[in-house]
Amino acid sequence: MSSNNTNLKELFLNGIVKENTIFKLALSLCPSIAVTNSLKNGIFMGLAVLFVQTMVNLTISLMRKVIQPKVRLPIFMLVISGWVTVTQLLMAAFVPDVYAKVGLYIALIVAFASILARAEMFASKNSILPSMADGLGMGVGFLFALTVISFFRELVGKGSLTVPTGLATQHVFTFINTKPLLIMILPAGGFLAVGILMALFNWIDAYMKKSAHASH
Amino acid sequence: MTGKDILKVTLNLVIVYLIGGFILAFVYANASPRVFKNNEEAEKKALKELVPDADANEKHDWAIHDKHSKYFIMKKGGDTIGYVIQSFGKGYSSYINTFIATDKDFVVQKINILGHGETPGLGDEIETDWFKNQFKGKSIEHLKVIKGDTKEDIQAISGATISSRAVTEDAVKNGVAFLIKTVNGAKEGGNADVKQQH
Repeated sequence: MSSNNTNLKELFLNGIVKENTIFKLALSLCPSIAVTNSLKNGIFMGLAVLFVQTMVNLTISLMRKVIQPKVRLPIFMLVISGWVTVTQLLMAAFVPDVYAKVGLYIALIVAFASILARAEMFASKNSILPSMADGLGMGVGFLFALTVISFFRELVGKGSLTVPTGLATQHVFTFINTKPLLIMILPAGGFLAVGILMALFNWIDAYMKKSAHASH
Repeated sequence: MTGKDILKVTLNLVIVYLIGGFILAFVYANASPRVFKNNEEAEKKALKELVPDADANEKHDWAIHDKHSKYFIMKKGGDTIGYVIQSFGKGYSSYINTFIATDKDFVVQKINILGHGETPGLGDEIETDWFKNQFKGKSIEHLKVIKGDTKEDIQAISGATISSRAVTEDAVKNGVAFLIKTVNGAKEGGNADVKQQH
């Protein structure tokens, strides 16, 4: 049982550092550029992906024995778009205030490579608990990457930070009143930001591995 | 691949899609009445916010982009104090549902974006106050989008010119133009030309 738990923990951490969707696998770079020009956008998008990724992994894992391998991709797409649509409908019906804020992000998820990739690579071959751990880890890793990228871009691009405090208000912190580097919040800046942060992430990762080796 | 395999694979796909379809239909059937009610409430709230002085309104229908839409004659103590019109602008990736309040001379007082599916981070800046506040006091000839600084017209959002244009030159301008045509037509001859405008 204890080895089982460490396995789940490793699977969870795997998605955050070793196989981080954006910084390591370089998947789903489209949203990481399109919706990271403010911290608020990055966080909401990350949370939406975290939810859908976990639910899709869970569903695919449950269905893995009844799916014919030849038609697995259309079935994965159905599960992903199904979850996205159901989530959208339920949120619009029962929590319209939340939906008004995050509805835009959820609709985009259907086309994310990272979700389909985890369904294909992991959930279709593993049982429920590991699949959920993998989905959670991947989702948290994605949320982490988007938060870092959007924090960096908004700070240097707009000179401010929009922090979602609850759903009604946003606390806006402004440290400089001009837009110091406008290019960073435009799409071109997205490429720069993702590139710089990807290099930084991998450099830190390599450095930590090296020092871990040295201490042995 | 034998005939039996083909049958198996086909059946598998058909069954999974049928089940998926039924689940979606079930959720939609249960959720949509609530969504409809929520939207109506949001509209009522928007009307109140746009013209807080009004104590009554008269509702009419019109259409833009083949979408059913509404306009309201806002009244206070029996006198017309202004108009609110719901209009749609064809944006980058969606129709932008806009409410526009004008005074009785058709000068825009306030606009509100009720719904849209524009790109988060770029197009969704149409919801920000600085963009919406630009419309205050604009008459129809100043409803055009300029890239760069402007006080007379509407300044485009950087990175979202299409969305800015959709709101300004499609939704708001067509809405105001329709109001002018319809309300003035009704005043002049009584034979109102309320033909729906596209």
